[in-house]
Amino acid sequence: MNFNRVLAVIVRHFYTFKHNLNRLSDSFYWPAMDIILWGLTSQYIQKAGGEVSNLILVLLSGLVFWQIIWRGQYEISVNLLDELWNRNLVNLFSTPLTVNEWIMALILLGVIKMIGAIGFSILLVWLLYSVNLFTFGWLLIPFFISLLIVGWWAGLIVGGLLLRFGQRIETIAWSGVFLLAPFSAIYYPVSSLPSWAQKIAQIIPSSYIFEGMREVVQKGQISYINLTASFLLNLIYIALAYFFFKWCFKKSKEKGLARLE
Amino acid sequence: MAVLQVKNLKKYFGKTKAVDDISFEINKGEIVGLLGPNGAGKTTTSQMLLGTLTPTAGEIFYFGEKFSDKNREILHKVNFSSAYIDLPWLLTVKENLNIYARLYEVKNRDKRIKKLLQEFEVWHLRKKAMSKLSAGQKTRVLLTKAFINYPRLLILDEPTASLDPEIAVKVRQFLVKQQKEYEVAMLFTSHNLMEVQGLCDRIIFLNKGKIIAHDTPLGLIRKLKKAKIEMIISQGKEVLEKYLKDRKIEFSWKKGKVFFSLDEKIIPKVLYQLSDQKVRYEEIEILRPTLEDFFLEIVKKT
Repeated sequence: MNFNRVLAVIVRHFYTFKHNLNRLSDSFYWPAMDIILWGLTSQYIQKAGGEVSNLILVLLSGLVFWQIIWRGQYEISVNLLDELWNRNLVNLFSTPLTVNEWIMALILLGVIKMIGAIGFSILLVWLLYSVNLFTFGWLLIPFFISLLIVGWWAGLIVGGLLLRFGQRIETIAWSGVFLLAPFSAIYYPVSSLPSWAQKIAQIIPSSYIFEGMREVVQKGQISYINLTASFLLNLIYIALAYFFFKWCFKKSKEKGLARLE
Repeated sequence: MAVLQVKNLKKYFGKTKAVDDISFEINKGEIVGLLGPNGAGKTTTSQMLLGTLTPTAGEIFYFGEKFSDKNREILHKVNFSSAYIDLPWLLTVKENLNIYARLYEVKNRDKRIKKLLQEFEVWHLRKKAMSKLSAGQKTRVLLTKAFINYPRLLILDEPTASLDPEIAVKVRQFLVKQQKEYEVAMLFTSHNLMEVQGLCDRIIFLNKGKIIAHDTPLGLIRKLKKAKIEMIISQGKEVLEKYLKDRKIEFSWKKGKVFFSLDEKIIPKVLYQLSDQKVRYEEIEILRPTLEDFFLEIVKKT
């Protein structure tokens, strides 16, 4: 055993670790995210004790519906990354394809794939835990749509950043949207968050969506205030995200799309 | 009519002048070579012509229309291929071409794809994933993509790189056929100077972002007046050396041969004078300047 060679291999991977945001996020970002998210959820369950009705339904619906945001974002940002990995971006944008057409295609693709993925998740929850997420039927549909819009604007922001900074920040394609998770109150109410986090939650549409959905699940009634707030905030965010993406695309073209590949 | 007009095109990256005020035209059915050493600005120019890089200044006109105003309409009639790009690896050849045929709104897609794949002799690879192709096969598929939309102008960045000589000849023949039959204009970059010399009607030499020469291949070669001379001397080596030194002509000896360069016009006179001074040679080779000599000379000068 030659320890110089062992050290060479360690140094080789340490250099990658230093330069690659993916490895850094694996080591720090995801553990931190899990600790925050599940820590807050545990605290909430402990405090609420047996007072939370339909606890399993609340947790599982949160888990499944978070997938809508994640998938909406994923389809835009990971499909953009896919073009970079395949060195196909210059090919695509030297055709008559416009940025708006490209965004529209990814949004439609996201909707189709989301229907399949969410349908599968709902079926799995029903088969494994005998919990029917359709118990509240159509009341949840407007929230589904609002969640999807959150995914789109998050995808446009992440996609814009990828166009600006390229593959070295590719990890944000998977991890970026999870920054919203602790403030979205997926498994616990906004009121159980620390006060500074509550302020952030107030400006994030997903917190109103999950609050509204919990009301549907726990009380069987739709909260029009939460629904309206989520749509109004979404309207602002999607407009800002669209212009941000277009700005990033313009800036990226100033440096050349080829440099991203 | 000019298919492409480039006017005072500039691209600066901070203080680096990647392309510095270049202007040129390409006419219908013309093949123009864009040559230059690495970092000369060839790829930067190509990227600006494709709209994937925004120029700092200057204007590009295609078919008389301003590129920045009629971007989409123009890109319907332009295409490109480069040795430095790929198509999605997991998709088959046919799936990839189908996507591009749709993006360019090509009618009778299947027929067009089949015709081109047959022309480039890769029809048998249509069901293969891009990742399974050799470099030469990939290059031919990329060329198929470049012709899919019946382009009126093609930007080809080293299109025959990684092709074996037999296929490279076929590709060149295909390009010439497209030029003659459909008057397709081409902007062609390559490091194979023999290929450029044989294929291009005109050549633009770029160095450090500037056009340093622009002429027909023959016109460029003629600018180099000196021919290389190689001789095996059987008698009068010292006399020859004195003759060359007196006239400040640089020479070198290698493996019994003397090498020097002379202005083509004075070669007969020099040979006569050497013969007169009893210099005898067993073998003589006079090498006329090539595009490669011009390339090396001009890069050395700048």
